[in-house]
Amino acid sequence: MEEQQVIAEKTQGSTAGAVTRTVHTDTTSKWFLISSVSYFFIVGIVAILLAAKFVWPELLGTVSVLTYGRLRPLHVNGMLFGWLLACDMGLAFYYVPRLCGVRLWSEKLGCATAGLWNIIILSAVVELLAGHNQGLEYAELPSWLDLLVVVAWVMFGLNIFMTIANRKYTQMYVSLWYTMGTILWTAFVYLTGNLAVLFATGVNQANLNWMYVHNAVGLIFTPVGLAIAYYFIPKASNAPLHSHRLSMIGFWSLAFVYVWTGAHHMLHGPISQWLQTIAIAFSVMLLIPVWTVVYNFFATMKGQWHMVRENVPLKFLMSGVVFYLLTCFQGPMHSLRTVNAIVSKTDWIPGHAHMAVLGAFSFFAIAGTYYVLPRIFNVELYSNALANWSYWFLMIGGLGFFVTLWLGGFWQGWQWNNPSIPFIDTVVALKPVWIVRFFSGILMFAGITTFLYNFMATALSAKGRSAA
Amino acid sequence: MLNRIDIDAKVFVGAALVMFFIGGTLTTVVPPMVDTSWSKPFENNDPSKGPTGKLLPYTEQEKKGHAIYVREGCWYCHTQQTRTLLADTKRSGWRGVDSPVSTPDEFVYDSPHMFGTKRTGPDLSRVGGKYDQQWHRTHFKNPRDLVPGSIMPPFPWIANNEEEFQALVAYLQRLGRAKNWRPDNDYEK
Repeated sequence: MEEQQVIAEKTQGSTAGAVTRTVHTDTTSKWFLISSVSYFFIVGIVAILLAAKFVWPELLGTVSVLTYGRLRPLHVNGMLFGWLLACDMGLAFYYVPRLCGVRLWSEKLGCATAGLWNIIILSAVVELLAGHNQGLEYAELPSWLDLLVVVAWVMFGLNIFMTIANRKYTQMYVSLWYTMGTILWTAFVYLTGNLAVLFATGVNQANLNWMYVHNAVGLIFTPVGLAIAYYFIPKASNAPLHSHRLSMIGFWSLAFVYVWTGAHHMLHGPISQWLQTIAIAFSVMLLIPVWTVVYNFFATMKGQWHMVRENVPLKFLMSGVVFYLLTCFQGPMHSLRTVNAIVSKTDWIPGHAHMAVLGAFSFFAIAGTYYVLPRIFNVELYSNALANWSYWFLMIGGLGFFVTLWLGGFWQGWQWNNPSIPFIDTVVALKPVWIVRFFSGILMFAGITTFLYNFMATALSAKGRSAA
Repeated sequence: MLNRIDIDAKVFVGAALVMFFIGGTLTTVVPPMVDTSWSKPFENNDPSKGPTGKLLPYTEQEKKGHAIYVREGCWYCHTQQTRTLLADTKRSGWRGVDSPVSTPDEFVYDSPHMFGTKRTGPDLSRVGGKYDQQWHRTHFKNPRDLVPGSIMPPFPWIANNEEEFQALVAYLQRLGRAKNWRPDNDYEK
């Protein structure tokens, strides 16, 4: 009971009127957020182009740098590293010092990290469009950029760990565990996926590649996303976290289970059957960390659900939690051999992947951004109505995208399993699905645009005020 | 122990890494040591054991073709694995002959591997020798001329560049041919 009290005070620190208020400058946080939200918008344009190419394959077809094969890695890497990871880092620079009750260890180092991150993303755009693609999914960036990513990650990790080492509160809140876990695991997962793979070939290389691809989501975006949700759900709903013990079970089961599952990307494929079976068993076990975490979030909201109506960050957070629950139910189910035989390699998979990265983790990141924005700039949010619009655009567009791709992908898999249907007929059959996906994409992009506009208008109003 | 884990950052870091490395090691470092077929090139001279043949290293020209395949992102839409599914062996088959399933020993020289995760176009693990060079040239110029309804982008800058075109076709024509699976030996050049 006593520890519950500590967490409650800590998560409500600002409202409870702490004895000595630490002044946070948040410069690093601002820079990371400004650049990540901009990339969200720019890479969103690439996303629309890709969706359009499924419907109009001749579109920009004779310009080599704008073909599907060049734009797709730009979309994936841009969204994962330019938008989501950068935004997550920006939010970590906000909540870590607050949970520790001290200022960030070094704002200078933080700003340098933000600068380096921008150099990496902009160079990646040039390299990927030029076709300098390493040929491995999620690890497309050429080696020299991989090295810069490692340097930036060490700079980020050092800053966060030193802040935690200097903390005022002895007990570490769950968001801090997840953040530290992310920093540690990402280092090894990234090195495996970008460096170790270069020394392997064939199936061995593929196995390392899928270990990285799976854990880029499972041990990078999941833990940092959950850190954000664990921090902002109690904050935005003004309620203490339901259970400290349950969050421990969720964290340590995730730490143990996630890394085993890489081979489920090659079910039925040319990789040892026993390894496939291990990956399946552990994929099903993923339900344990997911359900404990989701139960904890829902229980925290008990009695507070009415707040979702008015509170935009909370809307994004709780929708994100539902998407997280759904996407993490799909994952273990896909890894069952019978289900996999239908959905694997189909359009169902991008439906699933977008629900994880957009529906769950980007929603958490957007929620966090809306929450911290007025606080780091010390002004009112430019428009709450516009923020609400951005939610509904992303929600309806997202649902349209996910649901049509699941239905379409399932149908496609069903057709593939009937070899009397020629392959090209299964392509033509999906045209209506891709048209709906394109228009859903337009809606999602409208959501991103309103989000960006609201963000920039808020930031600029702060600038205008300080100048006056 | 459990009580120290969230108050002592050093204990926490140690525990988080131990948890991660158990699964990490057992699923990445150990499997290639246990299953040697991952690194032994395919070779079979005994017809009673399935298709005969031998996996050869890539030639310089094929390597160039593979690099073009990587550069243009062909692998985002074309997988290269005939899975242990009946439909896959039929779809990868040719003229009534079912294709053998892909095995790890057929991919020993592949780097980067091209197994793929998404099948927007057909699987290419057994495409070698199915279509002749003229077909590929027309297809790269505009896929819809040969396959109405296709959504593959045109690649005129490859079709019109003789060196690149020859290299890419050389690469495609060897895919899946380590196993000599077509009894009539009716491979196109």
